[in-house]
Amino acid sequence: MTTTTVDSPLRTNPRALASGSLTAVRRHPLVVVLVAMVLVFQLSTGSFVDTANLRGIATDAATIAIVAVPLALLVISGYLDLSVGSTLALGGLVGGWLAGQQGQSPVVAVLGALAAGAAVGAVNGVLCCYLGLSAFIVTLGMLTAVRGLAQQLFPLPLSDFGTGFAWLGGARIAGIAAPVVIAALVLAAGALFLALTPAGRHVFAIGVNREAAYLSGINIRRTPFALFVLTGAAAALAGAIRASVLDSAVAGTSGAGFELTVLTAVLLGGVALTGGTGSIFGVLLGVLFLGCLQNGLTLLSVPTFWQLMAQGVALVAGAALAYFGPKATR
Amino acid sequence: MTAKTSATATATATSPPTNLLIRGLTKSFGGVKALDDVDLTVPAGQVHALLGHNGAGKSTLIKCLGGAFPPDAGTIEVDGVEFARLSPRQSIAAGVAIIFQTLSVVDSLTVAENIFLGQEWTRYGTVDRRAQETLAAGLLERVAASCSPRDRVGELPMRQRQLVEIAKALSRSASVLVLDEPTAALSGTESDALAERVEDLRTQGLAIVYVTHLLSEVERLADAVTVLRDGRVDFHSPVSGHSRKQLVDTIVGQGRAATPRPNRLLQPKPAAEGRATALPDGTHPEPDPRSAPLLAVDGLTGPGFGPVGLDVAGGEIVGLYGLIGSGRTRILETLFGRRRRSGGTVRVGDRPVAPARPAEALAAGIALVPADRRGQGLFATLSAQDNVLLPAVRPLARGGLRSLRAERRTFDALASAVGLRPARPKLPAAAFSGGNQQKLVLGRWINEARGTDVLLLDEPTQGVDVGARQEIYQVVEGLAAERGTAVLFASSDPEEIVALAHRCLIVAHGRVVAELSGTELTEEALLSAVHDTHTPADSDPVGSGTAEGAP
Repeated sequence: MTTTTVDSPLRTNPRALASGSLTAVRRHPLVVVLVAMVLVFQLSTGSFVDTANLRGIATDAATIAIVAVPLALLVISGYLDLSVGSTLALGGLVGGWLAGQQGQSPVVAVLGALAAGAAVGAVNGVLCCYLGLSAFIVTLGMLTAVRGLAQQLFPLPLSDFGTGFAWLGGARIAGIAAPVVIAALVLAAGALFLALTPAGRHVFAIGVNREAAYLSGINIRRTPFALFVLTGAAAALAGAIRASVLDSAVAGTSGAGFELTVLTAVLLGGVALTGGTGSIFGVLLGVLFLGCLQNGLTLLSVPTFWQLMAQGVALVAGAALAYFGPKATR
Repeated sequence: MTAKTSATATATATSPPTNLLIRGLTKSFGGVKALDDVDLTVPAGQVHALLGHNGAGKSTLIKCLGGAFPPDAGTIEVDGVEFARLSPRQSIAAGVAIIFQTLSVVDSLTVAENIFLGQEWTRYGTVDRRAQETLAAGLLERVAASCSPRDRVGELPMRQRQLVEIAKALSRSASVLVLDEPTAALSGTESDALAERVEDLRTQGLAIVYVTHLLSEVERLADAVTVLRDGRVDFHSPVSGHSRKQLVDTIVGQGRAATPRPNRLLQPKPAAEGRATALPDGTHPEPDPRSAPLLAVDGLTGPGFGPVGLDVAGGEIVGLYGLIGSGRTRILETLFGRRRRSGGTVRVGDRPVAPARPAEALAAGIALVPADRRGQGLFATLSAQDNVLLPAVRPLARGGLRSLRAERRTFDALASAVGLRPARPKLPAAAFSGGNQQKLVLGRWINEARGTDVLLLDEPTQGVDVGARQEIYQVVEGLAAERGTAVLFASSDPEEIVALAHRCLIVAHGRVVAELSGTELTEEALLSAVHDTHTPADSDPVGSGTAEGAP
């Protein structure tokens, strides 16, 4: 039970900073788990905390983070989007097709992917926010429908997107991979939005008590609708990045299961599925946790099915801790 | 199987007198005593009326009896078996059956399935439908219900559903039956029929606790009456044979004598001289309702109420007094744009206002503090500051970003204006007492960043302890006197109406049926007025009451 959801983000003196990080640990026990995991992996592999490996983790985690941030906001406001895996595939295909087959500039390709994702998000948003249908059902349906649409539009795998498009996934800005820079910007924007904008307050209010928010004069449809659109666009952007990194996109398999990975990261980060609580810092921890877990287990040559089991167990264990933990620590 | 039913009936009739004996029952919530040393004795074959205003402790008493809350102290004795605390299961096993206002029948099941829910008759591991239906028929006969055991409960009228619940209670051979305002959802003729059933059950030897607001029911049914006020037994008497006039006098008079009412305001109303001296500079005379009303409502009509016409002047506090289901909440919610109106005009000052949504009402200067604090007012897990400032965050923001300093300053000012305790901005709302939670919701609409011309309050002190109640009255009076806000509040508590209102409109069946002001505005007058106006109506107020859906 997170009691205070957002603290003043402006801490200046070191003592306040120290006590701030202490409360962060108390509020996010995942910090401890994460540090312990990094230690274990480093001791057992000897190459976990290695610049190249860390870069790899960051790049893998970047696409998850880009989608996890808007999805977390959506979940805080009491909704859910399960369709992001298919939207990711569609975004990658549209971006790659524009850049490769159509020979458009990478900017146009990315904008096209964003537009496709935003369109999917807008459909979700209209159905859930304005028509009041269940987000679970609508986005579960869209998960299948968008996958089908992608296969209809692009029956054959796409590749050879050109060097311009490859920049999106491969370029380095001040030594940091472009996807990581994008993810950092998304994380910062999400945290800023939640802590410092009026709409950020409204997201919490709508998630905690929709009726009271409505009676307080808050537009309870517009903000969640915008978050659906943003989530769709973010998923498509993540798809374009992945297509750029791999220089290929396949309608049938790109982003399959991605929606569950992102949702796992969001929930591990302390965002309650019932809405009303969560923080972007928590989401960052959730993303890093999943990234490190996957990477470390791969380094240890643990078979994939064991990795999947570890991911699932981590989520359930996290939920159990959140349920039983606060009573113990209070 | 029919034999078994009649055997049960005979057993009930010949069994030794069943008893409900509550002694010294005490229950606190966060330091506020909801029940304080309450005694209640109900012998077999008696109807005991339980009266008291909202928040007086009636529901807490019932819930302790039903096992929903463990009492802090005291004992509950049912049929000679004493309990310090009951679980819901023990309560049922002990023979207590509670028929709540919101019935706990399952609409999609049949009458027989409902009656035997949780105690199904089985044969070879499957439900023995035929046995259940035969038994149900016998029980339905006992309560003179006209429905068949095979009817789906969801398709039955309210009265029949209620009888199904009573039949369910009988099937568990209950010896103590609690009816929580059973006629609130019934029409006049249905209420009469229910009264006959209650009389039957009394002769069958049940001990009946009958919660009501209506003196006519007390007069007709009750063998004894207990009045709760602020968690204490305020008055207790056998009442049969008393006339209504005597009853009103006794309840109101005894109540005054028993408790020296510390929660009354310093200025007794409607005495104008008390009011004038209490004002700081005497420049705010009693507002004249006929001089340019700030809120002018004419012919307002909506589903289940109307046409309603009323005026509230700036600085005036007008009460809407009526029972549950009288339409007072609907009137407020329609003014606030929470419900559709089908006709009529509303003006705030010179501007006509026709809000389709609460946001439009707020923009026009109308704010509502809803009665259901937890469901409609409070953001329980958010901080006190977020709760109070939610609608003000955007107006206070600069360049699209929140102004944390201005927010903190506004919060501090509001917290001291409403007397919030503790005045800690980051404490989640759920950690505050009921009274302070209400201050948070009230404070939302009195900050400078939002202009509130018309303040609507629905049951402003429901579930609020005595001390906070007075503070809330003071805040509302201050708003009216100092800012000239027009206040319209609904209440089912005559004491609250007399304490807060300059003028009171009595609402029954969706209309304003009487107006009391000046020296006529007394608790006695309100109690009799509501009795006189509770005439049978053909419409079913609950049928329309189910349209309470979210936006």
